[in-house]
Amino acid sequence: MDKLLEIKDLHVNADEKEILKGLNLTINKGETHVIMGPNGAGKSTLANVILNNPEYTKTRGTIEFEGKNINSLSADKIAKKGIFMSFQSPEEIPGISTMNFLKVAKNKVTGKPVKIFEFKKEVEEYMEELNMNPKLINRNLNVGFSGGEKKKNEILQMLVLNPKLAILDETDSGLDVDAVRTVSKGIKMYKSKENAVLIITHNMKILSELKVDYVHVLINGKIVTTGTDKLVKEIEKDGFAKYKKAEI
Amino acid sequence: MRTKVEDINRNIYDIKNKDNYEFKIKKGLSKEIVEEISKQKNDPDWMREIRLKALETYEKLDLPTWGPDLSELKMDNIATYVKPKSDLNSSWDDVPEDIKNTFDKLGIPEAEKKSLAGVGAQYDSEVVYHSIKEDLLKKGVIYTDMETAVKQYPEIVKEHFMKCVPINDHKFVALHAAVWSGGSFVYVPKGVKLDIPLQSYFRLNSPESGQFEHTLIIVDEGASLHFIEGCSAPKYNKVNLHAGCVELYVKDGAYLRYSTIENWSKNMMNLNTKKAIVGKNAQIDWVTGSFGSRVSMLYPMSILNGENAKTEYTGITFAGKGQNLDTGFKVIHNAKNTSSLVNSKSISKGGGSCTYRALVRVSENAKNSKCSVSCESLMLDDISRSDTIPVNDIRTDEVTFSHEAKIGKISDKEIFYLMSRGLSEEDAKAMIVRGFAYPISKELPVEYAVEMNNLINLELEGSIG
Amino acid sequence: MNVKLNETPVRTSRNFQINNLKLDIDIPTKIKEFENIEIINQESKITKEIELNDLVYGNGEELEENNIKYSNNKIRIETKKEDIKLIYNFDDKNLELINQIEIIGNNDANIIIEYKSNTDKKCFHNGIIKTIAKENCKLNIVIVNLMNDKSNSFEAIENDILENAVVNYTIIDLGGKTSVTNYYSNILGVNASNDLKTIYLGKNEEIKDLNYIAELKGEKTNIDIDVQGVLDGNCKKNFKGTIDFKKGCKKAKGNENEFCLLLSDKAKSIALPMLLCTEDEVEGNHSTASGKVDNKSLFYIMSRGLSYKEAVKLIVKSNFNKIIDRILDEEIKKEVLEEIDRRLD
Repeated sequence: MDKLLEIKDLHVNADEKEILKGLNLTINKGETHVIMGPNGAGKSTLANVILNNPEYTKTRGTIEFEGKNINSLSADKIAKKGIFMSFQSPEEIPGISTMNFLKVAKNKVTGKPVKIFEFKKEVEEYMEELNMNPKLINRNLNVGFSGGEKKKNEILQMLVLNPKLAILDETDSGLDVDAVRTVSKGIKMYKSKENAVLIITHNMKILSELKVDYVHVLINGKIVTTGTDKLVKEIEKDGFAKYKKAEI
Repeated sequence: MRTKVEDINRNIYDIKNKDNYEFKIKKGLSKEIVEEISKQKNDPDWMREIRLKALETYEKLDLPTWGPDLSELKMDNIATYVKPKSDLNSSWDDVPEDIKNTFDKLGIPEAEKKSLAGVGAQYDSEVVYHSIKEDLLKKGVIYTDMETAVKQYPEIVKEHFMKCVPINDHKFVALHAAVWSGGSFVYVPKGVKLDIPLQSYFRLNSPESGQFEHTLIIVDEGASLHFIEGCSAPKYNKVNLHAGCVELYVKDGAYLRYSTIENWSKNMMNLNTKKAIVGKNAQIDWVTGSFGSRVSMLYPMSILNGENAKTEYTGITFAGKGQNLDTGFKVIHNAKNTSSLVNSKSISKGGGSCTYRALVRVSENAKNSKCSVSCESLMLDDISRSDTIPVNDIRTDEVTFSHEAKIGKISDKEIFYLMSRGLSEEDAKAMIVRGFAYPISKELPVEYAVEMNNLINLELEGSIG
Repeated sequence: MNVKLNETPVRTSRNFQINNLKLDIDIPTKIKEFENIEIINQESKITKEIELNDLVYGNGEELEENNIKYSNNKIRIETKKEDIKLIYNFDDKNLELINQIEIIGNNDANIIIEYKSNTDKKCFHNGIIKTIAKENCKLNIVIVNLMNDKSNSFEAIENDILENAVVNYTIIDLGGKTSVTNYYSNILGVNASNDLKTIYLGKNEEIKDLNYIAELKGEKTNIDIDVQGVLDGNCKKNFKGTIDFKKGCKKAKGNENEFCLLLSDKAKSIALPMLLCTEDEVEGNHSTASGKVDNKSLFYIMSRGLSYKEAVKLIVKSNFNKIIDRILDEEIKKEVLEEIDRRLD
């Protein structure tokens, strides 16, 4: 098996408060992982800390990607290694069109010049698949986009940048049924034997159309149990109460 | 890690020509000097009298007790009039080689061919080139240098000269009226709409001198005009002074857009005055980019005298090392249903200082007026300075007035978002700074927006298609 | 006597007429002790010994000198954890108050200071309130000005706020023909925080001049200024609010909000909300707005049977409500609400 991501005994602080308290996680090529957990369990922290968001401090543990420690790399270097994160609330950046931004990012991540005509065609095809208004491509990055448009734009970026590991931080939150289905479709389009996905959610809808290999339950900064997609159904029925108690 | 936004690339602007004048008046300011300028310019008597009266006013007025320190400015060291070795030409071919080269490098003749309805170019104290498209002449549009206007249209000039900006407005207005030279005169007749802009470019080459150009624009009823002014100068070690004056008359139903890219060198004291009187159903829009000069005190003013008059101000100020740029906007609502919209941005870096200084006055008779002000300041490091000093003076109840201001640094969240897409920290910050300036740059004509982005030099070339 | 007061920390164009306030007023000297004062407290140490240093801003040279020389009442409070009330009752025998109050915040305390006229005669008040909030101390200070419509009131307030201390200041500025407040907050300590909320209500020929200055010096310091006002008649109001981010105040936050409701087309509202900044890792915001009563709200309320005047009162009080709720003393709160009704009649 080809190991992509390996997290060992990860402890993370935000504002001097410990959020992750010894987390272990391994993701191999071809796998789809899901992390579930109640609010405040540390799910978004995990996504952000993999990309080394400076708002969080690692106090112990290691994150390795393809066998190399990426603990102290800056976010752009991590992106270049092939990790992508879909943001829970994507930032609005005025002054650059979405199309130009995609070109810049593709160029940075691949280190190769972008062939404009083919690239544009590729982007337009993805947008059509994602049911996105084609006009959005000429608007400034995320500026004035609706919540759903922003999330679809994240999935578009994932498809265009084609990372080895995609981390989706609550990409489904705040979306209506159709939009959730579109996001699932995007994930299916992206997924191959060569790459992996880590889906962070507390919503079951997005999982119904995806083949999930592992489901982890994250409570109070630790993964308390790992199972298959059956676990999703169980949690859908019973909630997290059982695991919360176990933790205490 | 600090933002690395490069200083403005000044190479093009810093080309110094030899100080090759035909006549340079001796430094300082006195009655003799003012009379000599008047003689050199062949003023009619009435203009000579205005100059002499203005000098008296200048002597009576104090320096401002507020704003940037002006102590480096010594009038005794400034030559107020420098006549270049060139007459006024209507063909670039006739402009002397060294002067023409300067304007070529600034791209002025090129822009004229592509996208302008007329061009004026001033070098030191005199306009060396003026032209206007043939078809506009036929429609009765006048676009000429100010001296020609004084002689050919004395009645119009007398009626408007120093009437919008009174001579006693402040000390440097009085100075301007005493020693003014050059500048543009524009008259757009009733109902005539120009669909491409006129542009005047001002270049101060001579060291230890001043430029005091006078711009007088009358857009008659129902007419419309876009006027662009550009300013630059090479850097010298000694102080130069710019005290221009812009008087704009926007008559009933008329529209004027006045765009400025100011890129004086960092030894320039830029103490400029601009005002517009706006009639019924008329509108003036100001678009201003202030990048250059050591000290700037510049607050364009709209006086909304007619019902339904409108004004918009869109401005950006970028102060780097050694610069103190005190800029802003003034608006007086003097009639019913008038409205104003202000959008100001500033960037401070490398120890530079930006001040947004403003006045909104809604007078008693401006019932049902609207005013909305937004003002944002970006601090790129902790050695710079950014102040916001807006006065809001509301004298009637039937008014919708709001003012918002923000100050801060680049958002860490935005930087992280962009870095997660592969951009380096520098690239991410530069992209955000350019985005911050975007609402202003999008208002500028394309060539100028490009120039502005070059000025900010965001080092994004090659990475953005 | 001509006095110049409430100078702003940074000047702007003289033509804007807001750099300072010029008044011609009678300033009393050599006056007798102010006697009609109630002090309600249990444990805090209250004395009369005050040695004030020169104020950083204050209400101009003349009034400050007058205060230092002729002060006829001094109160120094070293707080214990409790509620404290100081009530200055102006009456026919006590028409002039030149006072000093010093608050040493050792422990959390709620302090209310009330000035009220039990007389129709013209009263004069020239006060200085100096507060030191020591480490970790939380002070809620409320000043209530209910002086009559002929009176002149001048108050100069100065705070030093040390590490982790919180000062919540509330100024209820209703009374006086002329009411001038100078407020200077020196926010020194790491994590020190100051919240200032004001309501004012001016009418007739009254003058309100508010000059608030907050200097953020310590790391992670915070200032929040919220001013809600109503102007009627020919009243003239100047609001000058300055938030100054000084070097070293990394991660400081400053917010300033002013709203002025205009009930007359003769009232004049001038605002100068300044943000001064020499530090990059800060967040500063200010907003000001003014306008008349929203016609939609007015119509809605009147459709429920209230008269125009009653509807306006309701809207004014709803604007003021959050701030009035900071008065923890029910009796004084009632007085304030009654005074608002009376002034809007």
